[in-house]
Amino acid sequence: MPDEAPIAESTNAVPVPQHAPPYPIPAKDRHRRDALALTVAAAAWFLPGLGHALLKMWVRALVCFSTVALLVILGAGMRGNIFSRNGEDAFAKLGYVADLGAGSFYFVAQALETNGPDVSHANGDYGTRLLATAGVLNMLAALHAYEVARARKA
Amino acid sequence: MMPPHEFKLSHFQAMVFFALLISVAFGFLSRRGAYQRARYILWSFILFLVIGVGIGWAMYPFSH
Repeated sequence: MPDEAPIAESTNAVPVPQHAPPYPIPAKDRHRRDALALTVAAAAWFLPGLGHALLKMWVRALVCFSTVALLVILGAGMRGNIFSRNGEDAFAKLGYVADLGAGSFYFVAQALETNGPDVSHANGDYGTRLLATAGVLNMLAALHAYEVARARKA
Repeated sequence: MMPPHEFKLSHFQAMVFFALLISVAFGFLSRRGAYQRARYILWSFILFLVIGVGIGWAMYPFSH
């Protein structure tokens, strides 16, 4: 699996150094690679893990999917607040952006939370944070998939 | 009675679940190789818990 391929360095926390290719990359290929990277990022956002799956990074795909799914299930199960687009203040709008980061799982959370949110208790407040974390984590994973597709990261 | 898909977690349980899930996700996204990932996940998980409990105790005097 590409995820597990042995590498010389023990970490890939730093971006892969960009060496100038021996010949210029044709503009057509560059545009195609950029379009592919954008498609991967959109897929990764829409369904957590799909971006990495398209890049054949199966372990990362599974982890992304499972983590976001568990956070959404826990957050909705704890009756966290799922922000809608009609937020009254900046925090509600920011919360909506964070929640929407989970892609299709935003609607899964809405479907799971049949009794609506209850933030009058700490439990519901934690649920709100877990739902927002699921969205932000998925956006981070989508960005990672985009960087990999553009060959900026291994 | 709570519906089957609803959870009631204590503060500590919620923190442990959060720390575990985020540590695993960060570990798999940012590291390669089983050993590097395991080390990162363990460290990240421990730091999440230690810092969380530490901040909790730091806020304790203000609640009294």
